[in-house]
Amino acid sequence: MTKEIKISMVILVMGLLFIGLYAFFMKNGNTPTSIKSLQEERILLPQYKADTYRDIPIVQLYLEELRTLIKSGKGVLPLDESLLDSSAILAQKIVLKDKEFLKDTFSNGKILHADMMQVHPALVASLGSKSKLLCKKYSCYEAIKYNFVKNSTTKAIVNIDTQKVLEVEYILESQPDISLRLKNIAKEIVLYAPEVANALKYKPRRDEMSMANVRGALQGSPCENSEHLCVAPTFSDHKNEEALWAIVDLTELKLSAVKWAGLGKTTTPACISERSLQNRYIMKNFCEKDTALEKNGWKFLYRLTGSDGLEVIDASFNGQPVFKSAKIVDWHVAYEGKGLVDNESDIQMAGRQVEFVKGEKEKFFFGYNDAMGCPMFSTSVVLPFNAPLVKPLYNKEKNRVGFYLIQDYRNPKWPMACNYRYENRFEFFDDGAFRVVGVNKGRGCGEEAIYRPVMRIDMALGENEQFYKYNGLWNQWLIEQSDFQKDAKVYDKNKYLYKIQNLSNRGYYIEPNRGQFNDQSRGDNATIFVTKYKEDEGSKDLLTLGSCCNLEEDGVERYMQYRESIERENLVIWYVPRIKNDARKGHEYCWADTIIGNDGNIKVKEFPCAVGAKFVPIKF
Amino acid sequence: MFKKYLPILISLLIVVLVAFMVIVKKSEEPMVKIKETMGEFKKQSSCVRHPQFLSTLNITHPVTIDLSQQQFTGLAFLYGKNFSQVLHPKAWENFEHFSTYALDKKGNVFLAPMPFISIKPTTFNLQKNIYKLDSLTGKISIFIHFDEVLPSASNPYGIISLVYDCDDDTLWVSAIDESNYREEKGVIYHIDIKSKKILQKIEGTDALTLRLLKSKNGKFLLAGSAKKNALYAFKIEQQEIVQNSKIKLLELPSANERIRKIKIRKENILELQTIPFSYTLVAETSDKNERREYRVEWDSRKFKFLN
Repeated sequence: MTKEIKISMVILVMGLLFIGLYAFFMKNGNTPTSIKSLQEERILLPQYKADTYRDIPIVQLYLEELRTLIKSGKGVLPLDESLLDSSAILAQKIVLKDKEFLKDTFSNGKILHADMMQVHPALVASLGSKSKLLCKKYSCYEAIKYNFVKNSTTKAIVNIDTQKVLEVEYILESQPDISLRLKNIAKEIVLYAPEVANALKYKPRRDEMSMANVRGALQGSPCENSEHLCVAPTFSDHKNEEALWAIVDLTELKLSAVKWAGLGKTTTPACISERSLQNRYIMKNFCEKDTALEKNGWKFLYRLTGSDGLEVIDASFNGQPVFKSAKIVDWHVAYEGKGLVDNESDIQMAGRQVEFVKGEKEKFFFGYNDAMGCPMFSTSVVLPFNAPLVKPLYNKEKNRVGFYLIQDYRNPKWPMACNYRYENRFEFFDDGAFRVVGVNKGRGCGEEAIYRPVMRIDMALGENEQFYKYNGLWNQWLIEQSDFQKDAKVYDKNKYLYKIQNLSNRGYYIEPNRGQFNDQSRGDNATIFVTKYKEDEGSKDLLTLGSCCNLEEDGVERYMQYRESIERENLVIWYVPRIKNDARKGHEYCWADTIIGNDGNIKVKEFPCAVGAKFVPIKF
Repeated sequence: MFKKYLPILISLLIVVLVAFMVIVKKSEEPMVKIKETMGEFKKQSSCVRHPQFLSTLNITHPVTIDLSQQQFTGLAFLYGKNFSQVLHPKAWENFEHFSTYALDKKGNVFLAPMPFISIKPTTFNLQKNIYKLDSLTGKISIFIHFDEVLPSASNPYGIISLVYDCDDDTLWVSAIDESNYREEKGVIYHIDIKSKKILQKIEGTDALTLRLLKSKNGKFLLAGSAKKNALYAFKIEQQEIVQNSKIKLLELPSANERIRKIKIRKENILELQTIPFSYTLVAETSDKNERREYRVEWDSRKFKFLN
């Protein structure tokens, strides 16, 4: 056998072996299931409220005109006549006097905001059979308006020669192509938005933006579950083969989301949706990993949990550990009713099954437990909107005294009845104090609601923590127990009812909220529980804790069955405020109302209730 | 000189040729041509029947099965004028909430579970079973328990959908418990009803709904994805899903929508009912505005939307 034959055999054997291995081990393109595109996706959520954009001159002028229009008793903002031909001007005038065309611009005596969007020669395809015949003979125009409150489009066909409206069509939950004015407003919002400049890494110019036929391309509004009018101006970066999509909500006149996406086939309009962008951004950045924050001496990690809301972990102040974990694990929601409870049939409210608990004297309580958690892959019912935000904290005198970390949780349909909105707020003061705050913005299913957020705070003062209650003197608790704060008669320094400290006397006073925190709160009326730390008692995600509606118990009792010693132990504080909502006019509390504002648009009036004790460092 | 190196050249040529063929073959595997896999289809008569115990209770047709969970937990039969009468024994609530059902030719009803609104200590375990409402007795019991299905706080879903196959008295069943935000690790099981044996197991697809369809080009299992706003099809040959036969048939217009029900309305037309779905317990489907309905028509090469 020659040397060449030997080499050729080696090539053959090795080659076929490699090919065999490739064929066997390499997966084809159909089976991988990871979402590669998600790893590459870059999303930015807005950091600023809609008010930010009210300073833009074009927005100011638009809102001013709108208010004047509504004041004059009209609801439809016409198109600028200088942009229309004479027939279009006439068509616009005709439809703006036509009762049928205008009939959806009033609701319960209120004028609703609508904009004329297009007036142009009617296309054959848009004509009904009757109009088709007439419009062969006469000049016909199509006029289109959009009602921002009802999220509906109205189309009218006008015979210019006879000056008559031939047909009017209402299309619910539909958004038309937008007017040039709104197009310009959208562009200005994008140019003004700091988030867009941040994403692009330079201040963008108007001529770099493209927004041709945005409505047609998006196949349904990408904002607020398709209930708002939205457009998505884009900036193309051909060099890197990607584009920045800036979603602008024209109903609220604000930026909704920003997303980088690839150019070409990989960019499907369906992926540009405010809700799905929010969900993906939150999942990637706050559910799948912890975020570190270091500010004003404070250092901690935070994350969104599956069902225990926003959790702050391993917090320290000026290098000293403060707490290991703080979170609101549940909101118990109970309503009071009178009469006999019908246990035989299931009761549903807004599609949710409610639990019933018998009370005294033919009273009963019903309701459910609301878990707050990640927007996907969780057991939560109330979902995060936007991402956690860090904001400055001011006192009554408007002096900055610290900062707070906040996460907004909502039922998607809030403030409709039986939908809820909660905020998890963690306040960090410059002097080392902190406060875990639960904010409720209603609206719930009605009056007579009792809300009980269950707060869990695992302090980090070492393995020898001791807990005290003030009764004129500080009395140490030796075994696991609870206390109803409302019954307290005396407070240390008229502030502090409890304290937790270690053997070195490092610790915190606990100052229950009795309305002194300048947030219009009516107090906590809380029950406090102190338990010995156990890993399976809430250190991981708690599903639900106890009954929504048994007001005799808060759920934490299950961890105190054996009344274990808590002297010199690692302790967990459970703080469960009790709030009663109020829907009386002028006294609203834990409530929200929807009204039509003086610009003809929907306004949500919020009446938040905030609860939570302040932890103040003990100083000697 | 050339003759000397000819064996080396030949072996190199062979290796290159084989490598080329393998690479082409591998890249072709998932690219099953749409024309070959889907084709025209018709609405077909079904072999299934309603439970026999209904007739002993003098409940006559039309009868409908209500799994909406809006009025009744578990299962209810609605019948009579405008479906105003209800059959809903309390015992049918024992296994909490159901998501889909499949009737068989004897009138048994197989049921897939669903977590709903709140989590109880029993909820995760209940997601591990297929349930059976006996055609003769009207009793609901656990038909099959899956140890390997493991719902959790980060994905409370387990068995979620099923469809009956008249051809061989089997069930096609989907479970989505193993998936997480990054990975789609759902399983489609093919189960023999008589022996309760798993005949086939296909991994990697989260099917929120299943439907069998026979077209001109053969039999398919349609799967509405729980993870994506898309409809997929698997080719079935000799009562087995053909490996790597999964193809995407269509994508819904909105990123948030998921197909929850697939109906064959008439020749070449499917009706797709969609809901928002994100593996949470949000009562999103309670709002009728959140549900959408699409009609799609097979147009020789692909589905086109009719509305």
